[in-house]
Amino acid sequence: MRAVLTRMGPGGVRLVAALLAVVGVFAVPLVLQSTFTIKILTFAGINVIIVIGLALLFGYAGQISLGHAGFFGLGAYTSAILTTTVGLPWILGLVAGTAVAAAGGVIIAVPSLRLKGHYLAMATLGFGEIMRILFVQLRDLTGGPDGFSGIPPVSVGSLTLETSGADFTLVWVVAIVLLLLAANLGGMRPGRAMRALHGSEIGTSACGVDISRMKIVVFTISAGVAGLAGVLYAHVLGFISPTNFSLNVSIILIAMVVLGGPGSLAGAVAAAVVLSLLPFLDAFVPGVPREVSEFIQSWQHDLYGLTIILVMLFLPRGLAGGMRQLVRWIGRRPSVEGDTA
Amino acid sequence: MSALIEVRGVTRRFGGLAAVDDVSFDVHEGAVKALIGPNGAGKSTLFNSMTGFDNPDAGTVHYAGMDVTGRKPHRIVELGMSRTFQNTQLFDHMSVLDNVKVGRYTRTRTGFLAAALRLPRARREERLVEEEAGRLLRLLGIEDFADVPAGDIPHGRRRLLEICRALASEPTVLLLDEPAAGLNNAETSKLADALLRIRDMGITLIVVEHDMGLVMEISDSIIVLNQGRKIAEGPPRLIQKDPVVVEAYLGEEDPDV
Amino acid sequence: MGFDEQLAQFVFAGLKSGAIYALMALGFTIVYAATGAINFAQGEFFMLGGMLAVWSLDALGVPLLLAGLLAIILTSLIAVIFEELAIRPRRDADPLALIIITIGGSMLISSLARHAFGPNELPLPPFTEGGSLHVLGALVEQQAVWLWLLTALAVAGLTILYSRTKFGLAMRASAVDREAAKLMGIDTRIVVMVTFCLAGALGAIAGVAVTPLTQTAYSVGPSIAVKGFSAAILGGLGSPLASVLGGLILGLAESLSVAALSSEFKDATAILLLLAVLFLRPEGLFRRSRREKV
Repeated sequence: MRAVLTRMGPGGVRLVAALLAVVGVFAVPLVLQSTFTIKILTFAGINVIIVIGLALLFGYAGQISLGHAGFFGLGAYTSAILTTTVGLPWILGLVAGTAVAAAGGVIIAVPSLRLKGHYLAMATLGFGEIMRILFVQLRDLTGGPDGFSGIPPVSVGSLTLETSGADFTLVWVVAIVLLLLAANLGGMRPGRAMRALHGSEIGTSACGVDISRMKIVVFTISAGVAGLAGVLYAHVLGFISPTNFSLNVSIILIAMVVLGGPGSLAGAVAAAVVLSLLPFLDAFVPGVPREVSEFIQSWQHDLYGLTIILVMLFLPRGLAGGMRQLVRWIGRRPSVEGDTA
Repeated sequence: MSALIEVRGVTRRFGGLAAVDDVSFDVHEGAVKALIGPNGAGKSTLFNSMTGFDNPDAGTVHYAGMDVTGRKPHRIVELGMSRTFQNTQLFDHMSVLDNVKVGRYTRTRTGFLAAALRLPRARREERLVEEEAGRLLRLLGIEDFADVPAGDIPHGRRRLLEICRALASEPTVLLLDEPAAGLNNAETSKLADALLRIRDMGITLIVVEHDMGLVMEISDSIIVLNQGRKIAEGPPRLIQKDPVVVEAYLGEEDPDV
Repeated sequence: MGFDEQLAQFVFAGLKSGAIYALMALGFTIVYAATGAINFAQGEFFMLGGMLAVWSLDALGVPLLLAGLLAIILTSLIAVIFEELAIRPRRDADPLALIIITIGGSMLISSLARHAFGPNELPLPPFTEGGSLHVLGALVEQQAVWLWLLTALAVAGLTILYSRTKFGLAMRASAVDREAAKLMGIDTRIVVMVTFCLAGALGAIAGVAVTPLTQTAYSVGPSIAVKGFSAAILGGLGSPLASVLGGLILGLAESLSVAALSSEFKDATAILLLLAVLFLRPEGLFRRSRREKV
């Protein structure tokens, strides 16, 4: 077994793991009885999708976005409007939502090319806020602060996803596929170039990388992925409103990537799942009383704020770094004979 | 026969001060050209103007007959001029091997889609990149650090790593900005050997350096800058004795001599 | 109302917001000058000013003016505590890390405020009772005059501190070059601490002065932070005078946009100006551009 795994290499192992995960995803709705639990897990999956894009942008390439909820919302509203008001099929809503969000990524990336660090943060924050203002003020299009309801469920041709189990499966299959694609990037030329960008822009230029183009491409991909998540969100929930795409949401998304650790896709995904499920702990961990979940829900934002501060101060390499330390520490414990490196 | 690199009248001003003032010179293919001068003489600024990291206010830089003045840095690397930096610009959080692999960027083609899908040609290219990067590490003797994060390796190896990374782009011309800074005698000696080996590979070298021993050992020709101007150019033997050069370094010539 | 009266009304409205933005922009600028970081929690200092004034008045039963003073002092204290606990441990981190920390801090402080003071909007009585004044055909609340008075005092006080006192000199020196200041014997740690204290006070003054006009709630921080930052960068981050001017200009621009277009996109004015400055002239209107060397 081990010989097979070694022969396959990390890429092959990843593919097999992804296939197994997809199989698991189909099984989960059959095993879990509670619709509530399935819905919670579905929204965790949507967060995972956004975070994959954000992890590429921020975790790998080091470009911060404090307005990612804006791309999330662009995808959601675009698809909602096209499928509900205009009556187009869902597939077109999906493509258009993703494309519009990706275009948003280009629009913010191009003028921001020269902006570094905190200036880029404020520019993306501004963009996210403009999006929210548009969602609120373009009442005729978006339904305004009262939201947009009546969004049809996902349907391709004659197949419509009516159950929460079907939605769960769709969202998580998409999440797993995207995770696989993103993980593949990391170990190859484009992923290295992104991570180099984070390390030193000058050094990356000196390696022949067109850093302006790279920034635009990464922003576009990241925004498009968030838009894709938005489309899924709109059609799974059936109702969206501007508060779903607020600055708070953008901050929570950043908290997930920060908690996961820089440069770690797996960390960001784990953090997204943990933070998404934590307010509903009693549904997932047997024996945990309802009060704990209610407490966490009530103190959710305090928790996010505190998490950001504590991770940035004391655990800058995030969960992923912590895990690596743990693994190294376990490996260092004196073995039976001799010493470990 | 025209020179591989032709620098004509390059001038770069910051505020009212000319950091580089009307500098012209040629570099012929296969040469090892040293660029020396007191601190603040404008050497790094000149490098920046030649490699696209800065735009000269006046003058031109021609490489292999092409005007590369003011082109973007990545374009100049693609054309065949690579460089290192006085303050090494390494990717500290990535491994030494990965740092060199990034250097292969212009000689490889795997794009986002091919990489995400792990297409066979992407995997093939990846294997070649791994081999080439390993070969370069061995060339400069730092292969033992392959998996160490670049931020953790000893100072003396950092400059060697940056040279490896620059070599990974298969340059025709390699511009080195103070490669021997912070190296002890033994390390400098190994660096000299490595640079001569690089020259033997057919790569043209332009080296900014303060270490006179190294400069004398490896260069065919030396250019001396002082306060932005070229004050001397010639073979090492002559430059060594040139009173103008001596004065520039010492400040003032001893009036009793 | 005739056109002139309408214009005057809009101008005064703009000067009201402008005063708030000026105080907030000042808070941003002095912290930026001292630490190189943008302190997103500045908006929470504004929120705490209003909130703690309401609390002092209602829960402690303290007279209004004392409540205001107490609010300013408590907020300054909280600002210092925030700096000591969340900023100082990572003071040498890059500005991006610091802004993320302050964003986390902003979320934490506003959530704690919600737990402490509830989710509702809360009012504060104006400092002096009485009708609005007639100025140039416009109606101006008495509280607005208090606001302008306090803003002018705060700006004047800060200017005197900066240019006339030894400590102000230390602050300016640290802003230019932290290492050099340390070598000259300036305790930059104290400088940063006092700077945060002042930033807290400035935010709180704005909060206390304007809450009688607008009410306050736990969530008002971020939007005022964005506007305050826009004002600071519009004028030129790092220069107190430029920040104050930026605040006034932003207030007037917002007001004029309401006059010219509609009130729906008022909030967008600040953000569009912010983006315009960041993209076109990051050094702001009143500062000379600095070139970055490779």
